[in-house]
Amino acid sequence: MEPIIHIENVHKRFGEVHALRGVSLDVYMGEVVVIIGPSGSGKSTLLRCINRLEEYDDGRIVVDSIPLDSAQDINAVRQEIGMVFQSFNLFDHLTVMGNLVLAQRVVRKRSSDEAQRVALDLLGKVGIPDKANAYPIQLSGGQQQRVAIARALAMNPKIMLFDEPTSALDPEMIKEVLDVMLALANDGMTMVVVSHEMGFARAAAKRIILMDEGQIIEEATPEKLFTSSSNERTQRFLSKVLQQ
Amino acid sequence: MAKQSEPSRARSKLTHLPVVGPIARMDPWWWLVVIVIGLIIVLVTVRADPFWDILLFVRDGIIVTVIITVTSFLLVLIVGMFGGLGRLSQKPIIYGLSSLYVEVVRGIPLLVQLIWWYFAFPTVIQQIGRWLNIAALANYQANAIVTAIVGLVVCYGAYMSEIYRAGIQSIPKGQTEASRSLGMTRFQSMRHVILPQAIRVILPPVGNEFIALLKDSSLVSVVAVADLTRRGREFMATHFNPIEVWTLIALLYLVMTLFSARMVTRVEKKTHYER
Repeated sequence: MEPIIHIENVHKRFGEVHALRGVSLDVYMGEVVVIIGPSGSGKSTLLRCINRLEEYDDGRIVVDSIPLDSAQDINAVRQEIGMVFQSFNLFDHLTVMGNLVLAQRVVRKRSSDEAQRVALDLLGKVGIPDKANAYPIQLSGGQQQRVAIARALAMNPKIMLFDEPTSALDPEMIKEVLDVMLALANDGMTMVVVSHEMGFARAAAKRIILMDEGQIIEEATPEKLFTSSSNERTQRFLSKVLQQ
Repeated sequence: MAKQSEPSRARSKLTHLPVVGPIARMDPWWWLVVIVIGLIIVLVTVRADPFWDILLFVRDGIIVTVIITVTSFLLVLIVGMFGGLGRLSQKPIIYGLSSLYVEVVRGIPLLVQLIWWYFAFPTVIQQIGRWLNIAALANYQANAIVTAIVGLVVCYGAYMSEIYRAGIQSIPKGQTEASRSLGMTRFQSMRHVILPQAIRVILPPVGNEFIALLKDSSLVSVVAVADLTRRGREFMATHFNPIEVWTLIALLYLVMTLFSARMVTRVEKKTHYER
């Protein structure tokens, strides 16, 4: 089977910093891959390369059979890749409904009625159907992040990328976001998630990727990684994370 | 946890805070507008000679000042937007041209610019016309009001470009990333996400520019435009009463600027409240 995301020996430098040092990774349709690793290990950078929010310097990334470096129209590729950010990045000047409708209208060219129908349906799915007319600032962090997930899903993407989606949330709100993500995973969405939520990784991930210093140092199923990893760096990282 | 996003969330909460008190009560500065208007009415009625005569004489000047200010300002809003976007362009030519425009124009006094547009520019056009043998250009005559508006727009457009640029840059990068990740083009992202938010940010400085433009419009009196200031000078030339003329003119400008300032504050509060 052809992977839907194919990453091959990707390098990325920020000036002196060599953020990605030859990363290769394949993600298959319907798979949930969780990327973990200490801060500065390059996991967010790798994620952002997948929809070319970050340009990579060397290597090859193919998404849905389209090579990113020669993509004529990166916007067409991005329509198929939803992205959820650590800081939500909702459009503050628009209501929740406006946030969900905007890209459907201007990118997917849907009618206003259809876009609103899709939006309401998704707001129901993420558990906040009554907030359609609220402004982002009136919502809690957990609600904002669920709106952000719904906004990405409204484009009917084939892939969802999550960049530390719960790191900016107060502890009591983390679960409501993870529950939405878990439901999405159970629906068969292809997901690449950068997160330190080991509970989520254990429950949803088909594979866990551990990165350190710009490289993938281990790749395993959750059971194997948590119970019988022989890698010394993995054990050191896990012991730190699981202590919290 | 949450180190990156906390400050930005806290800040946006502050700016979004609804302003309840001042809106409910009348803005006390309105009283200053009322007092100045009252002062003018008292002067005009109690000492109709010369104040009533002056007011009648400069009446059309007030209209010219308002027309020039409002027209210029609307054009400045458009020029400034393109200038500001140009200053943020990644294309070196567009960035270079818009930066050159801003830097050159900001470095020349407005009065000198106005004089240049009125006295030098038509001659340049005429010479080009003679050179190319185009009669329409060779016989070009400057229209005073049009020239005044061009001069004001070119100058204030440069100032406004910088305000737009700062406003656009103040919108967090995440907004662009979110819209681009949804598949929007650079233009769509600017048009639907960045500019609407930037415009709210720049509203206060833009309002100040309007007031500054209103005051600076008095400079057009040197290029044969019969605005409020020039009408005052014309009245002076025949009646020789500087105290009365210039006091009344000053009060008339003051009414207009105070009133504009109140309107700017109102619009600001309203947009904050509705957020």
